Order: sequence, then C-alpha cells, then structure tokens
Amino acid sequence: MLIPALAVAALFGAAYMAFAVGHRTPARVAIGAGAATVGAAAPPLALGQCTFGAESTSVDHVLTYALMAGGAWLALIVTRAVFDSRDGKSEAAGSSMGGEIRSGGFRLGWWVPWALLAPTLAILAVFLYTPAVQTFTLSTKLARLGAPRTVDVCLTNFSELLIQDPFKLVLYPLLAIGAVYGARFWIRRTEPGTWNHRFAEVASVGAMLSVFVALYAIFSPGGDGTVKYRPVYVNTVIISVGIVAFGMIAGLAVAYLAFQKVKGATMYRTLLIWPYAISPAVAGILFFMLLDPTAGIISNGLKEWFGIRMPNYRESAILAQAAIIMASGWKILGYNVLFYLAGLQTVSVDQVEAAVLDGASPWQRFVHIVLPALSPITFFLLVTNLTYAFFEVFATIDYMTKGAPAGATSVSIYEIIRVGVDNGDLGRGAAQSVLLFAAVIAVTLWQFRTSGKRVSYGGG
Amino acid sequence: MSKLRYLALVAVFAIVAAACSSGGTTDTTAASGGGSGDGGSDAPIEIGMWIAFSDEARLGFTKDRAKEFNELHPEYNVVVQEFDSYNTVFEQAVLAVDSGEPPAIIHFFEAATRQALDAVDASGNPVFKSVTDAVAGRGAILGEPVVLDDVVDAARNYYTVEGSFYSQPWNTSSAIMFSNTDMLKAAGVDKIPATWGEVEAACEKVMAMDNAPKACITWPNHSWFVEQSLGQQGELLANNDNGRSGRATEVFLTSDGMIDYISWWKDMADKGYYIYTGAQRDWDGTSNAFQAQEVAMLVYSSSDTTALTEAGDANGFTVEASFMPYNEAKGYEGNLIGGATLWLLNGLDEKTQDGALAFLQFFNNPENAAEWHKITGYIPITKSAEKLLEDEGWYEQSPNSKVASDQLAAAKDTPATRGALVGNFVSIRDVITIAIEDILVNDLDVAERMAQANEEANKLLTEYEQLFGG
Repeated sequence: MLIPALAVAALFGAAYMAFAVGHRTPARVAIGAGAATVGAAAPPLALGQCTFGAESTSVDHVLTYALMAGGAWLALIVTRAVFDSRDGKSEAAGSSMGGEIRSGGFRLGWWVPWALLAPTLAILAVFLYTPAVQTFTLSTKLARLGAPRTVDVCLTNFSELLIQDPFKLVLYPLLAIGAVYGARFWIRRTEPGTWNHRFAEVASVGAMLSVFVALYAIFSPGGDGTVKYRPVYVNTVIISVGIVAFGMIAGLAVAYLAFQKVKGATMYRTLLIWPYAISPAVAGILFFMLLDPTAGIISNGLKEWFGIRMPNYRESAILAQAAIIMASGWKILGYNVLFYLAGLQTVSVDQVEAAVLDGASPWQRFVHIVLPALSPITFFLLVTNLTYAFFEVFATIDYMTKGAPAGATSVSIYEIIRVGVDNGDLGRGAAQSVLLFAAVIAVTLWQFRTSGKRVSYGGG
Repeated sequence: MSKLRYLALVAVFAIVAAACSSGGTTDTTAASGGGSGDGGSDAPIEIGMWIAFSDEARLGFTKDRAKEFNELHPEYNVVVQEFDSYNTVFEQAVLAVDSGEPPAIIHFFEAATRQALDAVDASGNPVFKSVTDAVAGRGAILGEPVVLDDVVDAARNYYTVEGSFYSQPWNTSSAIMFSNTDMLKAAGVDKIPATWGEVEAACEKVMAMDNAPKACITWPNHSWFVEQSLGQQGELLANNDNGRSGRATEVFLTSDGMIDYISWWKDMADKGYYIYTGAQRDWDGTSNAFQAQEVAMLVYSSSDTTALTEAGDANGFTVEASFMPYNEAKGYEGNLIGGATLWLLNGLDEKTQDGALAFLQFFNNPENAAEWHKITGYIPITKSAEKLLEDEGWYEQSPNSKVASDQLAAAKDTPATRGALVGNFVSIRDVITIAIEDILVNDLDVAERMAQANEEANKLLTEYEQLFGG
C-alpha cells in the first residue's frame, strides 16, 4: 500500500509544480515530484512502517494517508518557497521589510548570527524540541509511569480517538476542505459589492463552520473500545470560543470606557490590569469562593437577603461551562484591556475629529474608525487568547469543577493531564497532546491566512 | 531510554518547583544528604520520609514525632517532606527512583498497593522491601519495640500479600456514617438508620419536615464507598479472590452488588434524598454540606471523626457516628479499610534501613498511635494502642471514635472484606466514579452505563498486566 501512495504523491507533486507555480521546466517538475515523495514517505518511515503491519486497521491506514498528504504538502510548500526566493519573487511584505534587513548584515561572516543565536537555540533544543520529539515517540506507545517496559502500539492511541468507519473518516474532512476551497473560489470569481459576492462571503463562513462540524463527526462518541473524545472536542470548542469572545469583547468595552477622559482615569486603568497578574489557579479559587453553593459568598448573600437558594453550578453543564468561561475570561481581561488601551492611543485623532465634523455618531466612529485601527491588536490578541484558552485553563478548571458535571468542563488540556499525569497513562496523554499541538498549529495558520488580509497596520 | 530522559526532565522541573515552594527544607535536605552518603560518624544519617498530608494537624504530628525521634537517636535525622495528595507522592516517588534519589520511607494509599509491589527500578530490582523481611524476626530495633505483630487484623489482612506483611500501617480508616441526631429527632427518627431501607424511611420523614434541609444524605462520589458496599454485600471486585490468590486479571463492574448499590444511590438522588455536590471525590463539599446542616446524614471516612464531631459542637448540633448503612436484602459481610501505609525502600544500607525501621516502630508505638487516633479519627493501629485508649477512658468521653474500630472488628475475614488488589486501580476507580457521575447527572441506565465502564476498566487492567505482569 505504501508504494502506490508514494506514486500518487509524486504525481501530485509534479502536477503542483507544473500548474500551480508556473515554472514548467522539467527539472523543477522533477524536483517537485521528488520533494512530494520524500515528504510523503517521511511519516510512515518515522513510524517504522508499522501502520501497514498485520495488526493495523483501516482507520490506521486512513491516518497514515492523511499524515503522508500532510508531509507531501509541507515539502511542496518549502520547495516552492525556495524557488520563489531564488527567482527574487519575495512575498509582498518582504519587499519593504526585507530591503531594510538586507541593508544591515554581518560583515564578519555567515556564522556570526548563528553564534549569537546559539545560546537561545541550545536552550530551545534542550527544553522545548527534545521533549516535543519525545512526546511524539511516546504517543505511539503503551507506556505507564514507572512501568518496567513499554509496548509499541503504532497509531492506536490516535485512531481510538476517532470513529471506526474509514469511509466517513475520509468523506467528512474532504467535504469540509472542499467547502472551504469552493467558497474561496466563489469569492475570488465575484466582484466585491455585488450580492453574489455577499452570498459567497456568507458561504465562506458556513464553510469554516463545516470544518468544526466535520471534526465533530470524526471524533469518537465512545464505545467499541474507543476513547470518548467527541465530548472533549465539543467542550474545548465551546469553552475556548466563549473565553476568547467574552475576554476580547469585554476587554475592548472596558478599555474604551477607561480611555474616556474622566477623573482618575490613570488609576482605573492601573486597577483594571490587575486580574492579569493573578495566576489561573487563584482565579479558580476566587470564583469557587464566589459561586460555591455551600461555602460561596454570593450564595450566602442571596440566602441571607433574598432567601434564594443558588443552584449548584457544578451540576449543570451549561452553568459549569459558563462559570469556567467567566473565570477564565475575567483572568485574561486585564491583559486584553492593557493591549487595547495601548492600541486606542494610536488611533488617529485627526481621523476621529474629521468624522465628528462629518456628523458621524459615536457608534459609527467606533465601528468605522476605531475598530479597523485596532485590527492588528485584535489579531494579536486573538492568537494569544486562543493559546491561553487552549493551554492555561487547567488550573482554573481543576479548582472550580474538576471537569464536572460528567466531563462537561473537561477540555482537551484538562483531559491530557487527567489521562497522562493523574492516571499515569503516558502514551495516551502524549497522543492527545500531539493532537492539541496540531490543533493550535492549524488554528494559528488559519488565522494568519484569513485575518492577515483584513488586518490594517496603517501606513502604506 | 528516551522515556528515562523525559522523566529526568520532568524531575528537574519538579525539583525546581519544590525548591521554589519550600526553599528552606530543600536546602537542609541537600546539605545533610551529601554528608550521609558515606555514613560518616559526625553527620547524622538522613532518613527521608515523604507523606501525602500537608494540613497542619497531620503534617505537624508527623514532624513532631520526627523531631522526638531525632532527639532520642542523634545518629539519625528523619526529614519529613509533604506532598498535597497520594497521587503526587506516588508520581514523585516513581520519578525519584528513576533519578536515584528516593527517600527511605514513602507513604502510599491502599489503592496503590499493587503498583507499589510491582514497582521496579531501572535495573529491574523491586523498589520496595517487605517490612516483615527487613525486621527479620527482631523484637526491637535500636531499642524501639517492633509493633508489627500487634497491628489490628483488618489492616494486617489488607496489607498482607503473598503471605508477607509488606508495609507499615499508619493511617487506617473505614467508611462510617455521621448523623445530625438533632435533625433526625426533629423529624421523628429516634434510631439512627442502619440499612438502606431504614435510611430511605428516615429520609422520607426528614424531607417531609416544614423546615426540611436541602437534602437528607450525602457522601463523596469516591470509588472507595462502592468498594465498601461490595465488601458489605460479600461480592468481589476482581477475580482471583480480589487479586489475593493470584494477580487480578479481570474486574467486575457489572456484578449484582455493584448494580444494586448504584441503583439505590441513583434512586435516592432521584427522590431528592441524596444530594450530589457535582464533583468526584468531593470530600470538602460533602463535609461542608453536613457541617452547614444542609443534610442530616453523611457517609464519610472515619479519618475526620474528631473534626466532624467538633464541628457539630461548634455549630450547635449533635453528631453521632454509626456503621455504614448496608443492603438488608444481602446481609452484612463486613466493611474494609482505607487509608495508607508507609513503604520501606529496597536497597538501603543496613544502618539506614535500621534507622528507618526504628522510626516506623517508634512512630506507631502505643502512645503515638493513640495520639494520632485522637487528633484525627484514624483507627488506633495496634491492639496496645486500643487498650491504652480504653484505660484512659477516651471512648466514654468520645464514643464516636470507637465506631470505625468496631465496624472493622465486626467484619468477617473473607476475600471480599479484605479488599481488592488490582493494577491500575487509581484509573479504574476513576472509571467507576465517572460512570456514577454520568448516571447521576445525565439520568442514564445503570446496567448499561456500568457495562460500558466495565469494558473500559478491563481494558485498563489488561494494559497494566501487559506492562507490569509476570
């Protein structure tokens, strides 16, 4: 099965070089084919070809093909970038910035920048890259903390997170990818401002959502010896989106209010940033103390003054998720306020004054001048907040709900620590963290591709 | 090999974190640790002890005893290091064994017994040594009388594996019930309920009161209570006599006893009698609910007998302890123990090992065991300690403190009441509590959900046996 797949990769590589890039020299087509083959061959070779072994399932095969496609795609991107730079066809952004960089340079030799980077690289290699590589290795094993031996399980730690129907496993992601590229094609073929274009934009939002739906469909709902990962995925999406939306909207609102010229504004601004200095664990304890139905401050107040019994937020999935979103969103709020306050100071006063003269209402000024001017900050915060929502919420959840009720607040990072550390199941924990790693890479890439175009950095 | 390096890296982080959190202790450890290596005559030999208690009462007790021991035996220096949970101690110990700096004495809870027995270091030697083997029949070590033979039967039976009494029992408890008798009396319940049926009948009266509390009864969603109920009903959790006549290779989460207990639990919750605090292993939430008089009864660990009784006094209600209610349809076979024991590291030089053994005996001598019982509610671990307390008149003064010992003494000695020794037990316990939470919160069918849990738990056990089994 490996050889035909590699042949397909080679053909695709050649075709990509021939049609997509536009340099149709035989040498380049051959190099494209070669790069795609090498890229596609890397994952199965790294896994020791176990995916096509006797015990492998069709789900393992599908996963392997997906990895091979990813490897080939990566190799082609790199090859194309090399060709582009050799042709002097740098990206648009590179033309202005690259020029500046090239005017500097190290006269002593090519090794000087590397020597200067070496300490950083050494630390990264020891504390970041090595553990990362070992996590990949561990994710293909059945391993327990303190166990005298490990057992190679190939991709089982991954495939057991998915539905066991290979047909659907291929179909759903392909449909979603098709929808995304179809919508992009439609947008490109229509004129901005026409109805057709607006429909296309709506369709592209739908296409993006279809990616989430496809992922929902391919994660296993449990049973048949698989891991019940679908609920974890749903919780992660709900809670992460909730935290980012709440944290950023509230952050902008608060920053906009604090930016008004009022008495003591400096003090307000300083105080607003404080939640950022609090650790996620402390945020969890604080909200636990507020919301706990037995020992909580709010429940006591309600009972004393109004005779109302507060519901237990840990017994209802919606309340528990809302509580986590509130606590985590509050914790990141100070950070967002800080950046938005800085951003608001850069909004051009001239433009705002001009808009006032033109009779624009405060809301119009906010939507048409302030918001676009803040778009670089918003983009930056989107990335950092999402990373926060993915990785930093463990302590808050652990103090507030411990994943309850019935796992409704167990997001992927919580699940990783529960499985890998609390249960000592190193292999499964590693596999889930590789999955989260891939998710963060994918989300970041996607943000760079989509938001990058709409972000205005001002100037030329 | 790569796993080792990964673990070493985690250990580095752990050490850095430990150094940050408790700078002083770590410094002294490192300093005296260096001197003890050659067993020189000047510096005292260091004996590290890792325990899972970080609260003032229990940690303070341990540190005080270590100090006394160090004064009695100046050639030794017992250094107590606390961790915040049993699981953390276990993880840290495994990492320390790999990195070659483990302490002489480590505190493990009962569920980790199989894993502790199976633990091996990098060269394949067992990590722990049987305390009985290390004592080797001596009556006293460095002048400290050996108390192993005096240990109460329930604890001895649990920790005797393959004929050897492996670890030194310390904190041993049982699951008992605490009742707010003022509230029960107000509802017209004069006798503390002893069976499931009686609990239900009492709850009906309690909840019918005008000023009815939030609910009638609660207990933590902890697998330990499920295991207790299985013991009462005389049913096994695992094959091969609960893993005691051979390694357990199968667990039974769909047994009648299991289904009956969880069905009763769910029924109590559906009727509004049992209140679920919404979190697994929620010792604090359930205890708070009882102390705030939001429930009339609490099934809990006897480890908090003293604290709960005092809390009742402080809040103006009477707390009475009684046996854990059982299923009258099945009869009563007996409850089992819970808690933790102290494990002795393998491969210590003779002088260090004797020091560690002497401390273990001193730590559990009748006076210390009685004192430990008084401040907590863990049972007096030896018969002499029990006698000492009786002579002192302690039980007349605080009758609640005797319930756990009586309950354990009333149990028949069978594989069911000895409790299960199962690999991957901590994870399997998780599977059980997750399933119960699912059943309580999402109103699922008990038998169906437990069948699913059974599949998961057996997979975990099979994997464990693949990695650790013979």
